[in-house]
Amino acid sequence: MDRKIGVYICECGPNIAEKIDIDKVIKAVSPLDDVSIATRYKLLCSEQGKKFLEEQIKKNGLTHLVVAACSPRDHQHTFMTICENAGINPFLFQLANIREQCAWITENKEEATNKAIRLTKAAIGRVRYHVPLEKKEIESNPDVLVIGGGIAGMEASLHLASPQRKIYLVEKTSQLGGVVTNLEKTFPDMQSCPKIIQDKIDQVTNNDNIKVYTNCEVTEILGFFGNFEGTVTQNNNEDKTTVGFNVGAVVLATGCALFDPTDDPNYGYGKFDNVITALEFEKMNLAGNIRLKNGKTPKSVAIIHCVGRDKKGYCSEICCMYSIKFVRYLQNKIPEIKISNFYTDLCLPEKSYQKFYEQSRGKKNDFIRIDSIKITNPGNKLTITHNDEQGNKKSHGVDMVILSPALEPSVDTKKLAEFTRISQDDEGFFAEEHEKLGPVTTSTEGVYIAGCAQGPKSIQNTLIQAEAVAGKILSSLIPGKKIEPEVKVAHISESFCIGCKTCLTVCSYGVITFDSTKKVCVANEVICRGCGNCVAACPSGAASLKHFTFNQLRQELKEAVL
Amino acid sequence: MKKDDDFMPKILTFLCNWCSYAGADLAGTSRLKYPTSIIPIRVMCSSRVDPLFILKGYLNGADGVLLTGCHPGDCHYQSGNYHTRRRFAVLKKIFENLGLEHERLRLSWISASEGQKYAKITTEFTQKIKELGKNSTGTEIFL
Repeated sequence: MDRKIGVYICECGPNIAEKIDIDKVIKAVSPLDDVSIATRYKLLCSEQGKKFLEEQIKKNGLTHLVVAACSPRDHQHTFMTICENAGINPFLFQLANIREQCAWITENKEEATNKAIRLTKAAIGRVRYHVPLEKKEIESNPDVLVIGGGIAGMEASLHLASPQRKIYLVEKTSQLGGVVTNLEKTFPDMQSCPKIIQDKIDQVTNNDNIKVYTNCEVTEILGFFGNFEGTVTQNNNEDKTTVGFNVGAVVLATGCALFDPTDDPNYGYGKFDNVITALEFEKMNLAGNIRLKNGKTPKSVAIIHCVGRDKKGYCSEICCMYSIKFVRYLQNKIPEIKISNFYTDLCLPEKSYQKFYEQSRGKKNDFIRIDSIKITNPGNKLTITHNDEQGNKKSHGVDMVILSPALEPSVDTKKLAEFTRISQDDEGFFAEEHEKLGPVTTSTEGVYIAGCAQGPKSIQNTLIQAEAVAGKILSSLIPGKKIEPEVKVAHISESFCIGCKTCLTVCSYGVITFDSTKKVCVANEVICRGCGNCVAACPSGAASLKHFTFNQLRQELKEAVL
Repeated sequence: MKKDDDFMPKILTFLCNWCSYAGADLAGTSRLKYPTSIIPIRVMCSSRVDPLFILKGYLNGADGVLLTGCHPGDCHYQSGNYHTRRRFAVLKKIFENLGLEHERLRLSWISASEGQKYAKITTEFTQKIKELGKNSTGTEIFL
């Protein structure tokens, strides 16, 4: 095929015209092979400029287009659209950035002109090797699989469910509600919790567009954004009935577990009576029965914060606040009770938490900062021995000890991370795509995380995440709308691949699989994000990245340094 | 010294689309000045940069090669820059072992907001290459 490359240099008003000798650039590139026209225009991104360019492509029968103008971050899309309108494939185009990275960085016109010539030549060298790429569209399924029937999963389901979008809500235990069903009240507003959670459960079970699977576990997830296949297995019967369905997105809302205090013998948990965990206390309180093992009402209670914090290496964010909530429970129900809080650090973020703490302090309620702590049981009386801030050893007798343990990832995290090909963070929770920029998305497009499955958090922050997940899905997975996967993706040539699997190990997105019959690696182009890491890693030259192929980049850099 | 001033090196610079390329654009829009020795090549991720590109660029007459990407932990593709870093370390060793001037290679992390850092690093690196002089390898070695 005869190539006819058109080179258009934008004056960008005075921005480029005053800093670069455009005529000199035109003179330098005009004689190059395949260049059929090289000319200048005052402002190519203006309506007139766009029209001019479209007419030029048609009139001159151009096959490829090079524009030397601003950054591709500015107007690459504009010029690609012009190509499309003029009837040439938009990928047969290259933009040379002679404004941001050339005209604006120097006062020396000669040097700027020389650099502009290099950049334009490099773009011409590259565009010769461009090939047409086609945008693809694939059907997508708007339904969503939500794993975990706690408050996060229910909230996301309620926001997402509609006549056009079915929700499959899978819960491992026999009932919806999760950990929140054990709480009497929420902090800091001290609202009744059973009512909040029962309302949500009723809304979910009465919603025709949410199908709830209790006593079920997800046993397989295959596919990609828009087209996942989930398999769910019932775990309360012998036959292990399985059911499968297609969904477009997956929400992981599996909550968290509690650090086991028996891991640290200093707490005496499991050894002594009346040493209980926060969750055991919540259940006791909800049942309206705060009693010692011998049936008597406790006269003094110690609440130990930060249990397991050193071992886990992170602050669990909510323990201080629920411990202070326990103070409120106890003061209300046993007015004469003496309470001592032992903490290493108080964590009181959010706008109302400090106030909640200050209002909970009182004569019969101490907050004691400690360095280390040990619980013993001499003469059947629980004794707390601790070092205070000055390093003095002190001891303290109490009737009951409540341990506030760290939150840790739930047991299924590893398995589900493998099913969905997402990673876990250093602490073992599901890893979000980006701590700041992608807090509910993950490395697998179409897989989202909400609530404590992502890390310890309060009910309010859990709801914020559940709503954020719903927002993400509602805006990206629209019923009836096809999805457009990335076009500039990796491809592995079957004939060149030596089956070494190097590419498989560097890919962060699980794009590549090994075909054990053909003994070659295969890239799933639909889920590839197009970074090109596998291409640089491939020792046999089998992997290539569309629009950033070896030849395209090779020609670009060759011309650039010539 | 006169001779040094006349010499404008050619520094092949690989920029990742999401961080350093945006940082380089920011240097321009902020009208920061840095030498025109820098010749940018845009890639989607620094991990696309096959070490062979660096070697080819070097043998084709680049006086220096600058590789830039997102800061560790900030990779748009999660972990691409970690692979870049390893490949770069290996390439430096290969250069040393082949007796090539590994000082002509540099890796730097530049975020989208670090226009100033981009201008500073490109200026420093250009100065360094000017001190090293022209890369004569291209004319001496045939591959």
